[in-house]
Formats: sequence, structure tokens, C-alpha cells
Amino acid sequence: MHHAFKLEDSEYNLELSRAEAGYRLHLADRTVPVPVNLHLEDDGSAMLTVNGRSEKVLVATRGDDVYIHLGGVAYQLRYEHPLQRLAAQSQGSADDHVRAPMPGSLVALHAKPGQAVVRGESLLVMESMKMETTIAAPRDGVIEAVHFAVGQTFDRDALLLSLVAAAVEGKKS
Amino acid sequence: MKSIPDPAILEATRSHAAEWPFRSVLIANRGEIAVRILRTVQALGLKGVVVYHAADRKAPAVQMADQAIEITGATPVAAYLDAKQILAAAKTSGAGAIHPGYGFLSENAGFARAVAEAGLIFVGPTPEQIELMGDKVRARAFVARGGFPVAPSAIEDDDPASFAERALKVPFPLLIKPAAGGGGKGMRVVREAAQLKGEIERARSEGQRYFGDGRLYVERYIENPRHIEVQVLGDGHGNVVHLFERECSVQRRFQKIVEETPSPALNPELRKRICETAAGIAREAGYRNAGTVEFIFGTGGEFYFLEMNTRLQVEHPVTEMITGKDLVLEQLRVAAGEPLGFTQEQVTSQGHSIEFRIYAEDASRGYTPTTGPVLVLRTPQGEGVRVDSGIVEGQDVTAAFDPMLAKLIVTGKDRGEAIARADKALGEYALLGCVTNTAFLRRLLNHQAFIDGQVHTGFLDAHPEIAAQPELNEATLHKLLAAAALVTRPMRDVADLVPDMHAAIGGWSN
Repeated sequence: MHHAFKLEDSEYNLELSRAEAGYRLHLADRTVPVPVNLHLEDDGSAMLTVNGRSEKVLVATRGDDVYIHLGGVAYQLRYEHPLQRLAAQSQGSADDHVRAPMPGSLVALHAKPGQAVVRGESLLVMESMKMETTIAAPRDGVIEAVHFAVGQTFDRDALLLSLVAAAVEGKKS
Repeated sequence: MKSIPDPAILEATRSHAAEWPFRSVLIANRGEIAVRILRTVQALGLKGVVVYHAADRKAPAVQMADQAIEITGATPVAAYLDAKQILAAAKTSGAGAIHPGYGFLSENAGFARAVAEAGLIFVGPTPEQIELMGDKVRARAFVARGGFPVAPSAIEDDDPASFAERALKVPFPLLIKPAAGGGGKGMRVVREAAQLKGEIERARSEGQRYFGDGRLYVERYIENPRHIEVQVLGDGHGNVVHLFERECSVQRRFQKIVEETPSPALNPELRKRICETAAGIAREAGYRNAGTVEFIFGTGGEFYFLEMNTRLQVEHPVTEMITGKDLVLEQLRVAAGEPLGFTQEQVTSQGHSIEFRIYAEDASRGYTPTTGPVLVLRTPQGEGVRVDSGIVEGQDVTAAFDPMLAKLIVTGKDRGEAIARADKALGEYALLGCVTNTAFLRRLLNHQAFIDGQVHTGFLDAHPEIAAQPELNEATLHKLLAAAALVTRPMRDVADLVPDMHAAIGGWSN
């Protein structure tokens, strides 16, 4: 399975293939594919058919994000590119990137590029909803870059700060 | 159900409005309330002017206004707080009155004064009334002097030497509050007299730490309190009426989420008493404009004055829906110097109305704000459904402003019908691109305690399961993955490249 979507905190592997009418959805945890189809209507809505049952949904995409309103609830999924997933598995970790847990603004910065930090050390203080939140280093490392200045605002998941592994003494590059 | 504004009242007021001292109204606000005010201003045949920050360029109020003037600021919020620019915009546009909406400059006595000094009309109370009600200690003393109920209390500043002794005379349980406090910080509940001294010490040190001020006061603690408020309207000529109550007990982080009227907690006799108390307080103040008197309401039916808001309230539409009165129209009429057009007896209440605040926030992540583009927006329609919205498709929801996007107001002949209509309407409210709280509001609406009307201000804290993200069932998951796969180009392209296996194998397939 080369394709995957992320929904909430879970990742789902899947594959799509053609059927006589419509498509088949192959899911990692199911041996029998599910017959599916989607018809876009003129009014922006779409008719989704799964296992022979149809219902009206609203779908919108933006980049790799897919937004679906289904059964009175809105959901957000993210398409995971096969190459990026491969890259993520083989090198680097999410811990290299300190991202914003919620939208807000930067109140104080306790670290600057080149500075070595230890896990748990306070890197910055952000403010959201009139509450201050301290962001700590996820692991030991060296600050590679700080992407925001004090007073700037950002969205959730914005990359605030990048870390690199500390150079080990005596070892060449 | 009544239509807002009532066509007959609108028609009658339109003819007066031709002689009002202003023919154009500047709205010093944004979002849904700017749209709401514009609607009545324009229906009266007046010119509606708005000021806006660049972040709001695509907002519906800017599109709808007869004139829109850009203002700037260090932050978008700062622009809307800049009295100088707003007054300059009023001058440029020839506006004769300024409506402040809610929030921003609406309860700023200095602004109200500056508007008057510029020779314009402030659609609101007098600066003195704003000052009186804005100072919580003064307001409370004013209300108590008038013989209206305030929670039994002891204020340290009155006489620091006898504070502990006076505190003991307040009926237990008690709540100790820092005099300089707010937001629930440093508050302590004391249930027994023996604990009082120690708790005063601790509260003092907390007050010192949080606010740099150790002064305290204590008041009677109301267990599982409800928040009930009453809409009042005064004309400054001595006429004051109430327009019944609103129950606003469903709150998160001290902020209201759902408001309704009538309150499920009141019987006719209590309803009359609390509404008359509110009107009495407003009358005592010679109040001019629309205002709201807030009360804390205990499980035993006792209620105490909390504060008075001297402006139009976010939740005013539920009052409009059951009384048929257009509160913005009444505000404008009073601002024009006219007496109220009706007596208390002519204000009647019919049906039940509930407002849901649609927030850009993720209830399951501690109600943290969310941002994103408004890719698709579909709003519900139908009998009893009103949507007061500040957003349109193509706009971005940013962290620059308060996360309230719109209000869904649903009215029925009784509470049961309003709840049923609201459940359907919330399901039909579709916004794609930014997480909103509509699914959370539906879970709340269908919670047995809400259906039974058994809520208090700590209700959501006591029921964290309402905010939690429910588990996805397999059928829904498959539908979501199917729809997502079918709109994702790389997946559909790959599938379309490979011919159907069944077709290739042909007749063999059985």
C-alpha cells in the first residue's frame, strides 16, 4: 500500500483501483475491497457511494488537506505523499521540528541559533487565548533556526524552531 | 414566530427616522455584529458606514456597507480600538451617530465622551452610566443602596481591622476573592469557619503573586450557580422596560456558548421577580440604551446582582425572537432622543429561542482556537432558523480576532421544538477548511442534562465527555477514506491508469 491518509492521530493505508462502474477501495485491514464512487454535483456537493449506499457529502481540498462534511459532522484528512513518508521513515524525526500546538503569538524567546539545549529546557513562551504556554525542547540538541520573532503571530502547526543533533566531540562530520 | 424587525414597527419608525438628528450611522465593530447592526440601519433608510482593518477586507459587513473606511493598527484588534481613527472616519463619511456594537469601545466611557465632544451621537448610555457599571465595587454598592439583592459579602477595604470578623458573619460556604482579581485566579472556597483564617492567608499570598495586590473580599459562595440575565431598555426620559431573561449557564472558560430564553429554571413568579428587579436597577440609574443586568442564581431560587453590561449583548437575538422587538432599532430610536415606543405591558414573550455560538475552536483540545480558510460554507435554513454570520466563503479565519464566527439562533413554539430544530440546523451548518465547534454543540444539545434544563456554570467541567472527540465507527471511517481517496488526484490517476481487472479477465471471472 503506497497511499495513506492521516485522520486525527491515526494513519490509514489504502489503495484505489478501477471497477466496471466506479472504483474499489483497498484497505490495509480488509482482504475484500469496498466498491466506492463519488459524483460531484453542480452545487458543490457530491454523491458518495460506498457498498452500494449513496449519501450526499460536501468535499473540499486544499493542497494535501481534504475536508469532508458527512452526516452533519466536518472532518479533516491529510494525504501523505508516498515519497515523504519514505523519507520520514528513513531519516530525521519529528522531534527536529518544534511546532505550535495552537495558534497564537510569540511572547518570549529563550533560545537562539547555535545554542545547545537539553530535553525539557524552556525554548519559548507563546500566548493563545490570553494564556501563556511554555514550549520545551523535545530532546537534546542544538538550535538550528528560530522561525518567528517575539510579537509575531502564527497558526497551529507552524514551524517555530528547528533542532539539529549536537556535534559529537572527536567525530568527523 | 415573530419576524425581526416587525414590518409594522419598521414602517412606522422609517417615517420618524427621516427627522432623526442623524441620517448615517458608523459601526465601530466587525464580524457578525457589524452585519447585524447594518441590517437594521439600512432597513430604516439610513446610510450604514463601517470601519475595517485590512484583515477584514473580504468580510460581509465591508461588502454590505454603504461606505467602508479602512483603519490601521499595530495589530488588527488595535485598529478597532483606535478612537481617533474611528472619529476621523465618522467625519469623512458624514456619519451623525456611532454604534459601538459589543466588545472593543462599547463600554469605554472615554470614547462615549469623545464621540459627544465631536458633535456626534453615541448609540449607548451616558458616559457616567458606563463608568458606574464598569466599576464592579461601585456598581455593587449602588445596587445594594437601592435595596436590590447583592450576595452577602465583606470587603476588606471597608475596614481592614475587622475584615476577618465581618467575613465570619457572611453565611457559609464563602468565596474569597482577590480585590484586584479576575478570571477565577486566586479564588478559594471556604466551607467551615475554622478554615477561614488559613484560607485568607493563602488567598492573600496568591493575590499578591498574581496581581501584586493582596487585598481581599469574601462573598457567599453559590453552589452550582446559574447565570441568568435580563434585557432592559431605557430611553433616558424615565421610561425603563425589561424584555425578559436569558439563561446563559452553559459556559467554557467563563465564556458563554449557549443562551436561551425563557430560562428553564424559572417559574412564572420567579421570572417576574428577577425581571422586575433588573428593570428596577436600570430605572434607579436613569438608564438610557439597551442594557443587560446579570444575576447569579442559586439552586434554591435565590439570586444576586452580578454586574450590568451597558451595551448590546452577543446573545440579544434570542430576546428579539420571543418578543418581536428589534433591539438595534430600539437603540437607534432612543439615541435619536425619542421616548420608548411601548410600555412594559406591551412586551410579551412567545415561544422558546436558543442561540449557539459557532466558534473556530477544537473542543477536544481544550477549546483551543483553530484557523484556516473558509473553503465551503453552507448555512442552514428553514422554519425558526436565523443565522447571524460574520464570515463568507473565501475568507480566512485567523488568530487575529475573537474565535466567534457566527451565531445560530433557533426558535420553536416550545423548548422541545427549538432543541429538535437546532439539532437539525447544527448538522446542516457546514464549514470546511477550519475546525468549528458545531459537532460539540450537537453533543451538548443531546446531553440529557441539557434536555432536562439541568445546567449550571460548571456543567461542562463536570462533563468532560461532551468535549471529547467521539470514537469513529468503521462505516464512517470507510466513507471518509473513500471520499478522500476519490478526490485525491494522485490516487485517482493511478487507479485510472490500470484497466479494470474484471474487464481484462472478461468471461473468466466466474
